[in-house]
Amino acid sequence: MELSDSALDHLRRVVALPDLSGTRYELESEIGRGGMGVVYAARDRVLGRRVALKVLDITPLGEARLIAGLEHPAIVPVYEAGTLPDGREFYAMKLIKGARLDHYVGGQPTLAERLRVIWRVGEALAYAHSHGILHRDLKPQNVMVGEFGEVYLMDWGVDAIAGTPAFRAPEAVLDRRSDIYALGALLRFLLRDPKPPALAAIAIKAMNMDPAGRYSEVTALLADLERFEQRLPVEAWPEPLWHRLYRFASRNAVLLWLLAAYTLVKFLIFFLRKF
Amino acid sequence: MISVYWKPVYRFIRLKFGKNNEDAKDLTQGFFATALERDLIKRFDPEKASFRTYLRMAVECFAANQHAAANRQKRGGGIEFETIVEQAVSAESPEQVFEREWQRQLSCLAIDDLRAHSEECGKQLQFQVFQAYDLAEGERPSYADLARQFSIPETSVTNCLAWARRMFRGFVTERVRGTTATRRELRDEMRRVWN
Repeated sequence: MELSDSALDHLRRVVALPDLSGTRYELESEIGRGGMGVVYAARDRVLGRRVALKVLDITPLGEARLIAGLEHPAIVPVYEAGTLPDGREFYAMKLIKGARLDHYVGGQPTLAERLRVIWRVGEALAYAHSHGILHRDLKPQNVMVGEFGEVYLMDWGVDAIAGTPAFRAPEAVLDRRSDIYALGALLRFLLRDPKPPALAAIAIKAMNMDPAGRYSEVTALLADLERFEQRLPVEAWPEPLWHRLYRFASRNAVLLWLLAAYTLVKFLIFFLRKF
Repeated sequence: MISVYWKPVYRFIRLKFGKNNEDAKDLTQGFFATALERDLIKRFDPEKASFRTYLRMAVECFAANQHAAANRQKRGGGIEFETIVEQAVSAESPEQVFEREWQRQLSCLAIDDLRAHSEECGKQLQFQVFQAYDLAEGERPSYADLARQFSIPETSVTNCLAWARRMFRGFVTERVRGTTATRRELRDEMRRVWN
């Protein structure tokens, strides 16, 4: 038989849509494509709420089981998992209203806001690592920043050779340090020129080509970030003297101003008495 | 494998090398004969590329060699004829046409499978509704029109289409499974079919 281009296009479009007949969900629209499948906005008719419905291409429900076992504010809760009448597997999860990180940065967030995202992502990673789970595909497209500033880490990779080139560690066999590499790449992505040298150094250390040269744990990277925020020396950067003095001055600005004012007053009193 | 790839290979050769219908047919036949003779399929390594990409590159290599040999023969005769290229004007590259033909051929085979299956299990009505709606050329009838045409309620039209599309998708998957070596390749190929 012959199939025209228009008939083929129609067929591919309608057959690609998930068959939700017999389920509690009503399809609304496609909202994204991840590493394992397509995500749709749908309405849960039973509970009368909107959900995100991820329909997997052909892979088993590894990802759903993986994240259903993780309870963390930065990990999207899974409501239900199952098989559609067309044989594809799906899972329903909370529908996040917000922006993907690569879109969020277009709104020119401050450095503090960008670092907060890294913090939240890092905390979720550290939590997952403590449960023996890797993300494997950390990149801006897999981070959502919600309406109220909440951060969610999406698309947990279950594929052994997952990853996106710019954010993927070079090693063939991925482990926790591969996620640390991706977190460093995410930090680098969020930094704008002029980059604070200490933050740039943290990203460089996390992205060391040799896994042994990276932070051993996500928490070690977060500790360095905390030191930066508290204006303390970071582990990743052997600080030059001028920067140490600059940092000391900026940390103790009030004290130094008071000292300068005191010295000036003393100096004036000394001169007034003399003349 | 041949039933899925015959047309994509033929169309690819026509477009890429500007061959006429007969030459393209001969080359397609020659390619599959050589592929079978030299165990081309056994040399396929799923770690390096998908079978579809591997096959397209093999066709390109084979047809380029044949094309060059034909040109050498012509030059040997002392007179060079300017070839008149009979080629359809297309905005798509030969590689895109190859992929599209592959999608078309898979769909056609899956439709044949669906027709046979619906006859086997007495679901001809479902297939007829599917044919009247999803395979319609030009303007599609409304569900109400179909309900009148087949004397069924409109909800049955929806059910017939849902069943046929579900089965169709399954048959496409089976056809793709037959030409892929690993689960990952199958997943990637399924994405190429539908996305």
